[in-house]
Amino acid sequence: MQTFVPWIQFGIGLVLSPLLAGIVNRTKAFFAGRRGQPLLQVYYDIAKGLAKGAVFSRTATWIFRAGPLIGAAAAVTALALAPFGGRPAAVSFPGDPILFLGLFGLMRGLTVLAALDTGSSFEGMGASREVFFSALTEPVMMLGFLALARESGALSLSGILNAASLERPETALVAVALFIAFLCENSRIPFDDPNTHLELTMIHEVMVLDHGGPDFALIQAGSAVKFWCLGSLIVNLFLPLRPDWPWTANTAAGLAAMAVLAVSVGVVESVTARLRLNRVPQLLAAAAALSALALIFSLG
Amino acid sequence: MKEAIELGLMALVLSDMALLGIGLLSTCIRIVAFQGVLLGLFSVAVNWGFLTPRVWILAAVSGLLKGVVYPLLLRRAVSDAGVQREIEPYVGPIPSVLAGIALFGASVWIGGRLPLTGAAEAGSRLIVSASLMTLLTGLFLVAARKKALTQTLGYIVFENGIFAFGVASVGEIPALVELGILLDAFVAVFVMGIAMYHINREFDHLDADRLNALKG
Amino acid sequence: MNVRPFALLLWFPILIPAAAGLACRWMPSPKWIFRTVLATAAADAATAALLVWGTASGGRLFAASGWLFLDALSAFHLAVMSAVALFASVFSRSYFTAEESLHGFDRGRARQFGGLWCGALAALSLVLLSNNIGVMWVGIEATTLLTAFLICVRVTPESLEAMWKYLMVCSVGVAFAFMGTLLVASSAKRLGLEPMEMLLWTKLSENASAMGALPVKAGFLFLLVGYGTKAGLAPMHNWLPDAHSQAPAPVSALFSGFMLSAAMYCLMRILPLVEAATGRVGWAAHLLAGFGLLSILVAAAFIPFQKNVKRFLAYSSLEHMGVVAFGIGIGGAGAALFHTLGHSLAKSLAFFSAGRLGQDAGSYEMKTLGGSLKRGPLWGSGLLLAVLGLAGAVPFALFMSEFQILRAAMATAPAWVVVLFLSGLAVVFIGALHHAIGMAWGEAPSRSVPENGPFRPAAVETVLVAVMLILLTGLGLWMPGPLRQGLSAAAAVVTGAPSGLDAWSVWTGGPTP
Repeated sequence: MQTFVPWIQFGIGLVLSPLLAGIVNRTKAFFAGRRGQPLLQVYYDIAKGLAKGAVFSRTATWIFRAGPLIGAAAAVTALALAPFGGRPAAVSFPGDPILFLGLFGLMRGLTVLAALDTGSSFEGMGASREVFFSALTEPVMMLGFLALARESGALSLSGILNAASLERPETALVAVALFIAFLCENSRIPFDDPNTHLELTMIHEVMVLDHGGPDFALIQAGSAVKFWCLGSLIVNLFLPLRPDWPWTANTAAGLAAMAVLAVSVGVVESVTARLRLNRVPQLLAAAAALSALALIFSLG
Repeated sequence: MKEAIELGLMALVLSDMALLGIGLLSTCIRIVAFQGVLLGLFSVAVNWGFLTPRVWILAAVSGLLKGVVYPLLLRRAVSDAGVQREIEPYVGPIPSVLAGIALFGASVWIGGRLPLTGAAEAGSRLIVSASLMTLLTGLFLVAARKKALTQTLGYIVFENGIFAFGVASVGEIPALVELGILLDAFVAVFVMGIAMYHINREFDHLDADRLNALKG
Repeated sequence: MNVRPFALLLWFPILIPAAAGLACRWMPSPKWIFRTVLATAAADAATAALLVWGTASGGRLFAASGWLFLDALSAFHLAVMSAVALFASVFSRSYFTAEESLHGFDRGRARQFGGLWCGALAALSLVLLSNNIGVMWVGIEATTLLTAFLICVRVTPESLEAMWKYLMVCSVGVAFAFMGTLLVASSAKRLGLEPMEMLLWTKLSENASAMGALPVKAGFLFLLVGYGTKAGLAPMHNWLPDAHSQAPAPVSALFSGFMLSAAMYCLMRILPLVEAATGRVGWAAHLLAGFGLLSILVAAAFIPFQKNVKRFLAYSSLEHMGVVAFGIGIGGAGAALFHTLGHSLAKSLAFFSAGRLGQDAGSYEMKTLGGSLKRGPLWGSGLLLAVLGLAGAVPFALFMSEFQILRAAMATAPAWVVVLFLSGLAVVFIGALHHAIGMAWGEAPSRSVPENGPFRPAAVETVLVAVMLILLTGLGLWMPGPLRQGLSAAAAVVTGAPSGLDAWSVWTGGPTP
C-alpha cells in the first residue's frame, strides 16, 4: 500500500487541480459580492474544449500544435516530482529540483514558441513579457531551493521540503519568496490578471488566444496542474506534517491546505491591484533578495 | 527567547533590505523608526534573565530616541524641505538590493570569524552578522544617496548597527558611557537636522551631490 | 603629589570651558564674549601648567574614581592644546574685530562662536583627560559636533558645503572608531574586569597582553579608520581641505593645530594596547606607519598645485599628520611627539597670518596674496616663516623632529620606505617654498594695493607673532631639559615601556627616567 500512496496522491492532484481555480474564482466573487462561476467551471471548460474540433492557421507549423500537448505533459511529469502532504513524491531522486524547474521551463518555452509561431504581434508581446518575468522568477525558486537544501542536507524535492520547518527564519523567508514566485508563475495578480479582456494588458492569456478546442483544454489543464504542483510545495513548507503519520491524515491535511492556499490567492487578488509593468521586476527582485538572504543565512 | 531574538534579527536584516530598495522618504523614516523600536526590544531580549534597571533605562532611552525622536526630526526636515523621495540616487533600487545581498554575505562571513564572547552568550550566531549588515547598510546609504536627508538616515542606520553590535558583543559597558554615546548620536542627528535646515535655506534644495563647489 | 585635592584640578580643563561656553549664550556683547573666551583659555593654560608640573613631579594623577587621569602623554598634549588654544583665542579677537567691518559680526554670531569654541575646548580636554576609552570616543565625537558650526560662523554656500562634508565624513568615521572600541572592550571581557573598569585605559594596559589578539586586531582596524578620519590621514582626508579652507582662521588654526592631534593622540593611546595584545611584533605600528606614509605622498601630490592658501595649509596638515603617524609607526615616538608640538605652533601661526592677510586682500587665493611682505610686514613675515618652518627649513623645530624621524626610519625601516618618505618631504618642501616665495615677494595684484599703506597690526598681534616665532625657532635650536624628559616619558607611554608610569622631572626630585 505504502508504495502506491504517492501515486494515489498523484492521481488526486491530477483530478482535483482544476478545482483550485474554481475556489479562487469563488473567493474573488465573494469579495466582489457576486455569486460567481460554479466551482467546477474549469472542468466544464476542459470537457467542452476536448469535445470540439480545432481550426489552425495556414501559416502555423507543427510547433503550434505541439505547444499545448508538451506543456501539459511537462506539467503532469512535474506533478509526479512534487511531494504532497508531508510525504515523498512518486518520483524522487537527488537533484530533482532542477528537473522540476526545467519541466516548467520546457512548458513555458513551448508555449512561447507556439505563441510566436502564430505571427501575431500581440502574442509576441505576451511572449516577451512572459520570458522576462520567468527569467526573474527562476532565480527566486532556485535560490530558495538551494537555501532549503543547504538547511536540510537533502538534495531531492521530497527530502528538502519534508525536512523544512517554519520555525527557522530561513524557511520563513523562502516560503514568502516562493509564494511571490508562485503568484508570478501562475499569472496571478499582482503580476498578471487572468480575467483581463484587454490584449494589451495580458501576459499569459494573450499567448494562447489563437488556441482553441482540445488545445486550449490542454492548456487549461496544464496550468491547473502547474498551480497544484507549485502550490503543493508551498503547502509543504507551511504544514508541519511528518511522513510517519497515516497517509490518509496527511493527504486530508494537504488537501485542506491547498484549499486554504487557493482561498488566500483569491484574497490577494481581491485586495491588491495589479502592479505597473515596470514595478514587477522590483517585486521579483525583492523576492530574489529574500531567497538570497535565506541562502546566506543557511550558509552562515 | 532565542527564537524571538532570531526573528528580530531577521526583521532587522529585512528592514535593511527594505531601506536599500525603497526610495520613498516617509517609508524609509518609518522603517528607521521600526528599527529603533526593534533595537530597544532587542537589548531587553538579549539580557533576558538578568534584567537590571540599567537595561530597562537604556532600552527605553534608546527606543525613545531611535524610534520616536529621530523620526520626528527627520519628518520635520522632510516637510520643511518639501522633498518626497530620493530621485535618481547614485545607485538605483535593484542594484542597491543586490549590493545589500552582497553586504549581507560579507557580514555573515565576517560574523563567523570574529570570536566574540557576547554573541555566544546571547545564543545566536546571527547577532554579529545582522548588526554588521545594518552597519554596512547605513554606510551604503551615506555613500550611495544624493539627498542630505537620506545620508542622515544612513547615519542613523549606521548607529543602529553599532548599537546592536554593542548590545550583542559587550553588553555590560558602564551605563554612563552608553548614555554618553546615545547622547552623542542624538546630538549628531540634531546637528545634521540644523545643518539641513541651513542648506535648504541657502540652496533651496537638499541635494548633497550638488554641493560640489569645493574641489582639489 | 598624588593626593586627591590636587588631582581634583583634572576637572578644571573640562568644566571651566564648558561653563564658559554656556555663559557665552547670555553675554551682552561680542566684547564680553571675547573677554570670556580669553579668560577661559588663560585659565585653561594655567591649570594645564599646574597639572603638567604635578604629573611631572609626582607621576600619574587620577580623579573621578579613576575615570580621569593624566600621564606624561596626555600632559604633553594638554600643554600643546592649551598653548594653541591660548594663541588662537588671543588671535580670534583681532580676527573677528576685523571681520566685523568686513562682513558684519553681530552678537548672535559672537555667541555662537564663543559657545562652540569653549565647548570644543572642553571636549578636547575631555579626550585628553579621560581614562575610559569610551568617554574618550564621546569627547572626539563631541568635538566634531561642536566644531561643525564653527566652520560656518559666517554662513556662505561654500562653508555650508564644507560643514556638511565635515559632519558626514567625521561622524561616520568616528563611529567606526566606536565600533573598534567595542571590539577592544569585548576582548577585554575575558580579562574578567568589572564592568566599571572594562574600558579604563590603565586597566587595559596592565592586562593588554592577555586580550584576544584577533578581536583586538579587528578593533584596531576600525579605530585606525575612525580616528584616522578625524586625524585627516589619507585616504580618509577628503573633508580636511574643505573644512580648513572655509572655516574662519582661528577655527582652522584650532583644527590643524590641535583637533587633528587630539585624534592622533587617541591612536597613540590605543597603539600600545594593540601592540601588547598582538605580541609586540609591530603589526599595528607598521599599519599606522603605512597610513602615515600614504598621507605624506598624497599631500605631496596635491600641495604643488594648490591655489588657495588655506587649502595649501590644510594639505600641509595632512602631510604633517602623516609624518607624526609615520614617526610613531617606525619607532620614533619621541620625535613624532616633538613634531606634533612644532606643527601645532607653526600651523596655527600660518593660519593666523593667512587669515589676516586674506581678510585684507579679500580673498585667500595665493595670487591675490602676492607681495604680502610689503602690504602687511608683520603677518607677511609670519606667514613666510611659518610656511618655511612647515616645509622643514633649517632653524625651525620641525626640521629637528623630521630629521630625528628620518634617523629612526633609517635605523628600522627598509630602504624603499625611507626613499618614499624623503621624496615625499622633498616634493612638499619644493611646493611649499614656491608658494611661500610667491606670497612673500610675488607681484601684488594691482587692485588690492592698499590705499592707506600697509595695514597696521595691533600691539597684541605683534607680541603674538613674536612669541610664536621665538618658540618655533627656539625649540629648533635648543631643547630644554624638562621638555626632553617629558617627551621621552610620553614616548615611553606610546611604546608601552614601563618607565611610562613614572614621574619624569628633575625639578622636585621625583624619580628620573
